[in-house]
Amino acid sequence: MKRVLVTGIDGHLGTRAAQLLEQRDDVEAIVGCDFMPPRRRLRRAIFKRIEPRDRDRLVTFVTEFAPTAVVHFGVYEPAARMGLHRAQVSTEACTVAALGAAARTGMLEHIVLRSGLEVYGRGRGTPLTPDEDAPLDPTSPYGMSLLEVETTAAGIARRHDVRVASLRFAPVSGSHAPSPLGRLLRLPLVPVPAFVDPPFQLLDTEDAARAAVEALVRGAHGPYNVVGPGAASPWQAVRLGGRVPLPVSGPGWLLARRLSEVAGAPIPPHTLALMRQGLTADGGHATSALGLGAMVPTQVVLDDLFEWATVTPIARAERRVA
Amino acid sequence: MESRERGGWVGLTASVNYGIDADRVLAVDAPLQAVARRIDGRYAVDEFGGDPHLQDMVLPIALAGLRFEVEHGERIPRHGPALLVANRSFAVGSFEPAVLVAAVRRVARRRLRVFGVPELPIAGVWLHKLGSIGRRPHDVATLLRAGHLAVAPLAPTWVRSAPGDPPRGLLAATLGFPVVPLAVTPGGPLGTPFGTWRVAVGEMLAPPAGTRPGDQLAAAELAEQVRSAIRDLLEQTRAAS
Repeated sequence: MKRVLVTGIDGHLGTRAAQLLEQRDDVEAIVGCDFMPPRRRLRRAIFKRIEPRDRDRLVTFVTEFAPTAVVHFGVYEPAARMGLHRAQVSTEACTVAALGAAARTGMLEHIVLRSGLEVYGRGRGTPLTPDEDAPLDPTSPYGMSLLEVETTAAGIARRHDVRVASLRFAPVSGSHAPSPLGRLLRLPLVPVPAFVDPPFQLLDTEDAARAAVEALVRGAHGPYNVVGPGAASPWQAVRLGGRVPLPVSGPGWLLARRLSEVAGAPIPPHTLALMRQGLTADGGHATSALGLGAMVPTQVVLDDLFEWATVTPIARAERRVA
Repeated sequence: MESRERGGWVGLTASVNYGIDADRVLAVDAPLQAVARRIDGRYAVDEFGGDPHLQDMVLPIALAGLRFEVEHGERIPRHGPALLVANRSFAVGSFEPAVLVAAVRRVARRRLRVFGVPELPIAGVWLHKLGSIGRRPHDVATLLRAGHLAVAPLAPTWVRSAPGDPPRGLLAATLGFPVVPLAVTPGGPLGTPFGTWRVAVGEMLAPPAGTRPGDQLAAAELAEQVRSAIRDLLEQTRAAS
């Protein structure tokens, strides 16, 4: 029987993964922590509101629970729910404190952690579609943060003989998913590279959560690229959403980023790199090893993103006289 | 980190393609429909940067002037992955890739990815859309695992390098997938596209059963087999002409 700790449980991924774990009979207990409460209802998971940077409280919480498995979603994407600096600091703090405390209890057997394709980088000589054996050479702050998370977990794995599954997700997007790329693409006027149109892949929230649960259930170990089938390109994505593309080149991106931030869609460095250089990977190993059949294709994720209503009317509650 | 064995064909996963196959050449849109599709964004883009819809719009026009004959075209696989290796007829092999792309489109109705094209700023992305796969053997291995067809020169690239060197690194990375040797004879003098090109397709080659990807010795042996097969095909073509 597993005792599972879910860090970052407030996020759409963490909450959904917790809901899927609650349905399993081999999971004895589930607890989660994050700086905000979960956005969906959890039936038997226990939530503790802890700021990721509050190391003492986090260590005490994890030590008392003594998990046998950790699903680590306490990896914060810049500009998704917090700014760049806070995301980096919170990710590092949560990773070190939660994983370290869990390993120290002596009960920990398995870690499933969220990583991303940004960890491969897009420099010269980088493979177009890296597989899990490709060298890691991140070129963005978020990519470096992800590499640190993987390195920390790998160190714990070596010292405490723990299995670690690093799930390198394509950018998770779709309706209700806080994603800087999603916000950018939903602007009425979207900055796109003027002279290039590179491919990128996306991942549906449900597929990402399912991958984490499957990795836990199967005792997966090692890195896995989890990507949606197919790909899209910036110009295509903008046209699919019925938006107007604004070609930008060179120093024009400085102005574009400022204006986009004012419009409510900040463009962090890794999203800018995606728009200018693309982001794809070989997801065949994860599909076969984790049994991820019938994943949502990238372009369906885009359709879902654009069909997400800007305003959802709340039905008026009927009042009954007692 | 434990090493994983690769090889074998994973197969194409389902993706939205709006009726456009990333591997096979199916029916082509009328010009106005094609433009409307581009404006709407309803076209397929694959993980390797290929844009099959753009290929269907551009390649028939760009390759219209090429004349070629294909011998034993039935040896080009109609489905599944394969690595085609072709000779270069002159120091600057600019036209061989175009001829081979056109030949495979006509004979096998498949899209051919071209390995060994230099990665150029800005232009590189557009060449990927038209079927280039760059110069990294790793990417070709991924492409073949996805079930596509790729062609490589009997040299590190299609330009600059001395022709005749088998691509051992590429063969090592793609061990386990069938290799088809091609002999290309230029249509005009000095490798120019004037005249009718001849493309001779050789018998499919494969390393011994049980060969693991990355086996350098097996790759070297396969490379010599490929070079010999292409040399024999060229001699047969010259003898027949």
